[in-house]
Amino acid sequence: MAALKVTFVQQDGVEKTIEGLEPGQSLMEVGRNNGVDGILGDCGGSCACATCHVYIEPEWQAAVGAPDEVETATLDMAGDVLKPNSRLCCQIALRPELDGLRMRVAPGM
Amino acid sequence: MGSSDAEKQASGCPVAGHGISLDTVSLADPKILARPNAFYQAMRSQDPVHYDPQLKMYLVSRYDDIVTVLRDPLTYSDKHGYAAQYASGYFEEFKQILERDGGGFFTDAIKDDPPAHTRVRRLLDKAFTAHRVATLEPAITRVIVGFIEKLADKAAKGEVVDGVKEFAIPLTISIICEQMGIGQFNADKIQRWSGAVTAQIGRMQNREQMLENAAQICELQNFIIAKMKEREAQPSEDMLSDLVHATLEDGSKLSFAEAVSLVRAMIIAGNDTTATAIGNLLYTLATQPEVAQTLRDSVDDDRLLNRFVEELLRIAPPVRGLAKMTTREVELGGQKLPKDAHLLVLYASGNDDEQHFECPRNFDLNRGNLGRHVAFGVGVHRCVGASLARMEIKVAAREFVRRIGEIKLAIPVEELPYLQSVATHTIERLPLILSRRA
Repeated sequence: MAALKVTFVQQDGVEKTIEGLEPGQSLMEVGRNNGVDGILGDCGGSCACATCHVYIEPEWQAAVGAPDEVETATLDMAGDVLKPNSRLCCQIALRPELDGLRMRVAPGM
Repeated sequence: MGSSDAEKQASGCPVAGHGISLDTVSLADPKILARPNAFYQAMRSQDPVHYDPQLKMYLVSRYDDIVTVLRDPLTYSDKHGYAAQYASGYFEEFKQILERDGGGFFTDAIKDDPPAHTRVRRLLDKAFTAHRVATLEPAITRVIVGFIEKLADKAAKGEVVDGVKEFAIPLTISIICEQMGIGQFNADKIQRWSGAVTAQIGRMQNREQMLENAAQICELQNFIIAKMKEREAQPSEDMLSDLVHATLEDGSKLSFAEAVSLVRAMIIAGNDTTATAIGNLLYTLATQPEVAQTLRDSVDDDRLLNRFVEELLRIAPPVRGLAKMTTREVELGGQKLPKDAHLLVLYASGNDDEQHFECPRNFDLNRGNLGRHVAFGVGVHRCVGASLARMEIKVAAREFVRRIGEIKLAIPVEELPYLQSVATHTIERLPLILSRRA
């Protein structure tokens, strides 16, 4: 299997690039397991808390895709920091076409 | 706490009240427990981490301090805070009764600290995902409509109905039992068991009540253990069976004691707090006509309905305060806390904090930061059933206003009985006069 790489840009501007990742896990798990500030994942990936909110860099939006109805409803609760490229990264499974993905961590609590 | 009778402060926001002197009152005062917002406000402005001598606890009242506590579970231990709260004052006797008559004393696995907690939590994370709960909406709607139709029929005959005992409680029990796979159940018994379990963290029981509650919990555990033995012998497609046969992420199995504690937690937490929230919903509709109108205006728009539920949880959170204990000396909100300080984290006060929520006593579903309330907690112990609770409240609100026109209290608001508990803000009985919607 391909070893993949993703980059989180934290609120403080620090970029965290994580390499050698296997497909399948969620980006929330990747962020949380690698100490990315602001990726908390309180609800464990059940799309219920919006504590893994990221902004997908524009060039990656098409590959990542849009949130479904349930995720959109959860994102709506974070209306003050919501953007058109908002996603909850617990709902994005890592896959080969996302190799190199960049996203910014949204302001948290 | 209707805005109509609230005083106005300089900013023009309704406030909960004035003139509370923290030196002379305790959260344990039944009047404060019933109408706590002025007390919360006084703490936030005068003494944000306030020592309540009657409870022997530090009350954490500001939003930022609450989040600090909940984001640091190793400094602020849930396990030790809970243990010190549990059956407070009577613990040893309580434990002996459960060991003798209730199949054992089973520590709550969900109230452990990391890393032990994390192992069990990962298992439960997937039980009620938002996506799974969305698929349950039609079944939940059928159950709730059934209860509302019964209320409407009684109302049509001019009978007073109880929004808590005839609606909020039986509906949440019915839904969680179906999820667990408990086909045959006695809702009255489950209600009594729930009250007995939650009384252990409510801090207000005397010895006589403890003995009665311990007997109820023994009955609950014997019921659970019998059901688990059935699933051990014959697995089935339900959550009870899943828990009995669960393999955790690390490959280990749940111990029998852990499984009993989780089934108990799912049944109790799965009905009690959601029922409290739905009781608060009906109370709000009956006492704040403008909120009832907001709901009627939102009823056909799922986004607005979701926002309605979230704002209801912020303004009237069912869980008011849960305990933590410091594992070292630490400073919080300007207050130096010793090691082993017993804290009560007041989620309800955090949700009311004017530094985060403008005009916090106003019901406003257009708040930009609607989802930042702490009704479900924050951090590693955040409510695992949040999506299920939201769905039950949403469907209850929607189907209620679709079928019921007028809703009024049948007794003066001052006479509503509140549960004596520091843990939840629960209306025990809610007599209502309803009319079927034309």
